[in-house]
Amino acid sequence: MAPWLSSGLVYASGLALTAGSVTLLYIVTRTFNFAVASMATIGFYTVYTGVTLFGGLPYQYYPFAFIVGSITGFICYYGLNRPLLRRQAIETTLMMSTLGYDLILLSMIQMYADFLTHTYKIFPRRVTMSLFDFELFGDRAAAFILPVIAIGFLTILHIFLTKTKFGVAMRATIENPILAGASGINSDRVYLVSWIIGGGMAALGGSFMAMAMTGTPVMGMYTIPLMFAGAILGGLGSIYGGILGGLVIGLTEYAGVFLLSQQFGPWVLGYRMGIPLFIMAATLLVFPRGLSGIPLLKIIKNFAEQKRGARA
Amino acid sequence: MTTQNGISDKFKNILLRRELHVGIIIAALLAFLYASRGINIILTILIQVTIFAIITMSLNLESGYTGIPQFGRVAAVIAGAFAVGGIPGRIMASFMGLPSGREYTLDTVNFKVVPEINNLLASSWLMSLGFLIMCIVIAGASGAIIGWLISRPAIRLKEAYLGISMLAIGDFFMWVGHNWNLLVGGSTPANVPDPFRIFGAARFNVIVPVFFVIAIIIFIYLNKLTRSPFGRNLRMLRDNELSANAAGLNIVKVRTQSLVIGACIAAIGGGLYVLYTGSVAAIGMTRLTFTFWPWAYMMLGGVGSNVGVFMGVFLLTILRTMIIIFRSQWFGFLLAVGIDPLWLEFTLLGAVIIIVILFLPHGLVPEKVEAMLPANRVKKVMAQREL
Repeated sequence: MAPWLSSGLVYASGLALTAGSVTLLYIVTRTFNFAVASMATIGFYTVYTGVTLFGGLPYQYYPFAFIVGSITGFICYYGLNRPLLRRQAIETTLMMSTLGYDLILLSMIQMYADFLTHTYKIFPRRVTMSLFDFELFGDRAAAFILPVIAIGFLTILHIFLTKTKFGVAMRATIENPILAGASGINSDRVYLVSWIIGGGMAALGGSFMAMAMTGTPVMGMYTIPLMFAGAILGGLGSIYGGILGGLVIGLTEYAGVFLLSQQFGPWVLGYRMGIPLFIMAATLLVFPRGLSGIPLLKIIKNFAEQKRGARA
Repeated sequence: MTTQNGISDKFKNILLRRELHVGIIIAALLAFLYASRGINIILTILIQVTIFAIITMSLNLESGYTGIPQFGRVAAVIAGAFAVGGIPGRIMASFMGLPSGREYTLDTVNFKVVPEINNLLASSWLMSLGFLIMCIVIAGASGAIIGWLISRPAIRLKEAYLGISMLAIGDFFMWVGHNWNLLVGGSTPANVPDPFRIFGAARFNVIVPVFFVIAIIIFIYLNKLTRSPFGRNLRMLRDNELSANAAGLNIVKVRTQSLVIGACIAAIGGGLYVLYTGSVAAIGMTRLTFTFWPWAYMMLGGVGSNVGVFMGVFLLTILRTMIIIFRSQWFGFLLAVGIDPLWLEFTLLGAVIIIVILFLPHGLVPEKVEAMLPANRVKKVMAQREL
């Protein structure tokens, strides 16, 4: 694989998970979760701590990253989101509350990085996680393993949402909270589970992204516009849309930087953030409701009908 | 007897006002800081308060009065800062026959040109004053232009989409400034000519009253503006967009006006900040400093109340400064395990936002329902109507 494609795939699968987490929490609780930034960074630091202190490969610590992320989501729901949802706060208030939580988590991450430096004499402020990776088919293993993990995770999520009773209840709450409540679904538990899954997804996504970029305590802070751009590109309507949006944003960033820097020279690298934002703006101009607003089924149907008409 | 009662009631009302309580706390904290660290720390706090009060009041106009989720305040601040960093110096240099084109902001040229401009400015107070006014005008104009440009695509988006696209635009501006070294020097900050050089060592003492006067003028202007019919339009739009539309309000126009005025004021704040620090470091223009801190100031002070915003800025700036200057005395236990207590600044910011949202939703000084006209004038108007 070309180097831009392998790191692009790693980065994009991480971004897809975080954008999916943002979308999930938005459609369930109407909360635009700023804390996804720190949750992603926490996932990275969980993996980093495991690898440096206990050895082994980064991949074996991903379950722990998921669990730690879920715990931060759990705390956020009980401490912050639940009282505000009960008060029926407006969207901006919900957004600001997660921003406050994000800043507290950020300060804790910074303190934890200081603590690691002082106690274990390691340097957690500029980490290249890909150094802990191994080689597979003449390329870095992450390029193959991480997309597979992401697809596996999404398959489990899909099965959970479509085949289990609780998953169906969750989808019912997403579709129509009042009707779901009237038919006896405990919306409180649905919110809680979505925060747990959302937090875990964000942490997992952050630990994926760290394999393609330099891991720093402010890594989530720098990439959060892209996570949001992915979610918005997906249309904030369905989890799959958000995941697709994150994937598109991540891949176009790497592909765009590669192509443009070949064309115009390396100065393009400084403006790399502009490429995904430009794509987001362009997509929103054409499809105001994001990728999930594209009437794909309708287009296929029309096409098929035209063919049939031509035959008849 | 009745007048006696009236006076004591009035007195009681004044005593019960929230503004007074918060003011006393602020005064006590300032006195404590003055006693322990001297006058310089007070001046630093005052400069920060004036700059951030200007930025936060502009945010209050857009978010507090109009209800736009402005998460890209930093974009307008950057517009003002970059304009003051790039344009007035070039104008001066071209008049003096110095390199003023593309090469002005290159670090090898910049550090020779700016001291010469400074020498010229220091020779006459009239020129210094003119330069200061030119800086403010340029900052405000560029802020208004950028605000209008941003408002074009953003105005039709819905709540969350609008906030996030503004946040992304703000971040993008920062990266452009950091990488494009023609603008303000890129990663090597360009110096800014200093209109306060003429005062020499007393520079600091002069900056404080000048900035304070500018902040007070903006405060009075915004107070007048939000009490005018235009201000009532803004509040109508915030409280119920549908009914505002039904009442015949042109929503897009009112929103655009609010965004442009807010961006203009925020850009003036950014320009003053650059004049105070003396250089434009693009990488320092983060959304944390110029979007999230102003949001916290506004929410603590009270959304939709300009007095409250002033108080919020004052209180939080003092607390921030206290964490910085007392970090080794109060937080020694953190230093013992290698943790820098400066990170507590973020904890403070986050905790303030959360506590305000959960327990103090209207802030320290809540928004008041303001009478459109003084009571006696209302009576006069009513009497005229009856005639």
